[in-house]
Amino acid sequence: MTTAESVKVTINGQEFQVQKGAPLIDVCRENGFAIPSFCYYADLALQASCRMCLVRIEKMPKLQTSCTITCTDGMIVTTQSEEIEKAQRGMVEFLLANHPLDCPVCDRGGECELQEMVFDWGGLEERFTERKNYYPEKFLSPIVANDPQRCILCKRCTRVCDEWMGEDAIEAGGRGANTVIGTFGGWLNCSQCGNCIEVCPTGTLLDATYRHQTRPWELERTVSTCTFCSDGCQMSLGSRAGELMRVVARDRYVDGINGEFLCIKGRFAHPFVNHEERLRTPLIRYRKGGKLIPATWDEAIRFTAAKLQEIKDAHGANSIGVVGSPRLTNEANYVLLKFAREVIGTEHYTASEAFSLAPFFKHMTAPLATHKDIRHAKTIVLIGGEPEELQPLTAKQVRQAVRNGGAKLVIINSVPVRLKQQATQFLHVRPGTEDALVLALAGQTDDAMAARKMGVEVGEIEPLRRMIDETQGNVVLMFGGELSTEAQTILAQLPGSIGDEENRRFLFHPLPLFNNSFGVHDVGLMDGKLNATGLLDAAGDTVRALYVAGGLLPAHLQGREQALQNLDFLVVQELFATDTTAHADVVFPAASFAEIDGTYTNNDGLVQRVRQSIPPVHQAKPDWVITSLLADALGIDFNYQMSASAVFREIGEHVPAYQGLRYPLLKDESKPVQAKYQLAGQRAEVADVLAELRQRVERMTGAGDKIMETPEVGHELFKIGTLTGKVPQFHLLAAGNPEPPDVLVSPLYQITIDSGLRRDTAIAGD
Amino acid sequence: MSQQFTPNNPLPQEAKVPVEMAVFSLDVEAEIDRHLAKYPVKRSAILPLMFIVQRERGGYLDPPGVAYLADRLDVRITDIWEVATFYSMINTEPVGTYHIQVCRTLSCKILGAGKITEQCSTRLGIKPGETTPDGKFSLSEVECLGSCGTAPMLQIGFDFHENLTAEKLDKILDTCERGEYVFTVKG
Repeated sequence: MTTAESVKVTINGQEFQVQKGAPLIDVCRENGFAIPSFCYYADLALQASCRMCLVRIEKMPKLQTSCTITCTDGMIVTTQSEEIEKAQRGMVEFLLANHPLDCPVCDRGGECELQEMVFDWGGLEERFTERKNYYPEKFLSPIVANDPQRCILCKRCTRVCDEWMGEDAIEAGGRGANTVIGTFGGWLNCSQCGNCIEVCPTGTLLDATYRHQTRPWELERTVSTCTFCSDGCQMSLGSRAGELMRVVARDRYVDGINGEFLCIKGRFAHPFVNHEERLRTPLIRYRKGGKLIPATWDEAIRFTAAKLQEIKDAHGANSIGVVGSPRLTNEANYVLLKFAREVIGTEHYTASEAFSLAPFFKHMTAPLATHKDIRHAKTIVLIGGEPEELQPLTAKQVRQAVRNGGAKLVIINSVPVRLKQQATQFLHVRPGTEDALVLALAGQTDDAMAARKMGVEVGEIEPLRRMIDETQGNVVLMFGGELSTEAQTILAQLPGSIGDEENRRFLFHPLPLFNNSFGVHDVGLMDGKLNATGLLDAAGDTVRALYVAGGLLPAHLQGREQALQNLDFLVVQELFATDTTAHADVVFPAASFAEIDGTYTNNDGLVQRVRQSIPPVHQAKPDWVITSLLADALGIDFNYQMSASAVFREIGEHVPAYQGLRYPLLKDESKPVQAKYQLAGQRAEVADVLAELRQRVERMTGAGDKIMETPEVGHELFKIGTLTGKVPQFHLLAAGNPEPPDVLVSPLYQITIDSGLRRDTAIAGD
Repeated sequence: MSQQFTPNNPLPQEAKVPVEMAVFSLDVEAEIDRHLAKYPVKRSAILPLMFIVQRERGGYLDPPGVAYLADRLDVRITDIWEVATFYSMINTEPVGTYHIQVCRTLSCKILGAGKITEQCSTRLGIKPGETTPDGKFSLSEVECLGSCGTAPMLQIGFDFHENLTAEKLDKILDTCERGEYVFTVKG
């Protein structure tokens, strides 16, 4: 791209130097010449069906669609003239030929692109007297409502479904004036991302969970960061009178890393915020086996402080464990760590993280890839993980890199994941043998053994190594939680040992599960002596009390159900009553992501703002405030003056990667700030780690069956967790998305869900 | 090998197939194979295969038939659905034994296609897009069938009936009603 030559283009009499081959419509818009369009959508296949972006180009016979024209040298363009306006007005008249005049009852009214366009280019009256096409409104899925007559056939939805999601679930059927957007069988069986709703310029595809509840101009909009996976999509929270009404990525004010992309969780799983089951007041269990009784904040803080002091005096500081959460903000986790170190003085602190990335951060020899880097990468190596279910934005970027950017994708997985469709090479390994691939990449000597353990041909490893070697551009190494500590270390050191070449650069993209998985590592919460399971195993023994912010994961508690009961004292900060609070002695109601200010660090290392959209519900308080109150009761005043920005300023002083960061620097979501991670050099001790890794691989049995079935769409996304379980639509989806007998009536009214059909709880527990 | 998307090199796509899929006899499979062999890319054979499946599935493309095509051509089921709904020659609903398709495009329209349709309607007691209760006749108006020189015209099966007049139409319908009419089924 940097090599593209620059050409001279004249637009409306002004000369511009632009890149050869750039789409004319983009060039015009960047230089301040407004060009209307419906079907053009950056980075999607061209459609040129709306004919709104017409311009006059000298020496071309007719008006041209600027979206399909690429800039060439000496091009002379006119974007505004009587002729062009006449053509555009004519196009709008055609678009309205079948469009109903029902803006007052249409849910898109007020934020509809067609409506805006008609204000500028529409006529005062309609000259068509023919009958308009009519189709009754219906549901395409529990969350997508469809009003086919409003469609102007820009086909953004079908292109997004195909190119972003790779699902091809929604398509245009019929032909001519009778074309309608629909799906085979009339029911959408897809990942229900709702991106078709987002990109629809009219009220054809609507959010069935939000429809008819409020008008867009009544909503107060807050730009914030998603609280689900580690991709950290930017989104706009729409609230009204202290209630979170909807989440969208669009709103034209938000220009984050994800554009208009969100997944089902980000877009639809927000009703937990105002759910009636939210904890309302602090709760105290005065004696073991008793009930949790509502209490005032003063009483609960005093009670907790006294108990913690008692246990510290009796058993020592290390008998108290502090557990943060990768769901919480950097601020919450930092204050928690400060509490553990300075107020309690314990070495037992950790976060309820599914897997640790500490070895990776310690040894990383290449920078982190942003999502933009992934989109323009030339080679992508994906070891383990399943981004299409667990990090949907990453999956979308990978898909586009392959489809639109011609990148090569290598997948190493024990499951034939859906992204395999895009893969150049798929190494189908035995479950749990991903480590062997890392060993093979580290040097040629172990190929035969590694291939044997993985259950692949020896010849399959060499092409991968050669592909990485020959890449001209960025090589992105992605990995999921399957890798062992040693494998993570070796992989982190790999770019250092291979070395960068002039045209090749290595980038890393780990795939942790949580919105702030990076943050808990950065603030240092993962450096404690024991991890979450370790703390639970020691419960009742060396660990007498636990202070848990956010719940423990189901995976941690599995097989350790007794652990929490063995504790002398358990304090929990939570949104809902969970398995963790079931045994708690004190429960504090925490504020959700929509009610607080703070920052999350995503898997690009981008530190992004979380902003308060609504006041905390009931008596909830932000996690870091609760911790500060406890510290105060124990005699140490953190002196944050109730200001999250004061906490972040302190993080900027104490956390090396965040040096110098302040809230004002993170203001603009379109210019995200990446934390400055220290790159490690070649480490001498790596040879030992490599030997350990080799032993570990040698110990692998080489048995175990590969999983041959491609898992169905949504097998992880639709699982019921603490947060998603609060959304009725998720229950429908988890039950296999049954098609209702009548798509004209909301499926929620028609289908009773067999609880036996529900799948087990999500690994991420959300 | 790079897998960049080009029309000649479509990405391999796995069709999500509904539970039920049509099964055909060896003869039909052989016929399908002959068509597939003609094209460098499998999905190009979508139309000839659709006609075969439609013929074998009782005159219309039912969901198992669509599923079969998606599986056989390695395309998404929505791709098949798109094509099937685009062409008026492909029926997605059951049709009668005699599917009368009256051309309604310009030349035929000017030369009285409207009257032809109306005559069919009155005689059979159905509107375009409907099927008689006995399942014998279906009537539909279709776009240009490429026989403008002999307008107005209609099609039954793959047979053209051209230069239609009221008498001619009555005769055709008579033979149909007596069950004597045998039309071409292969394209």
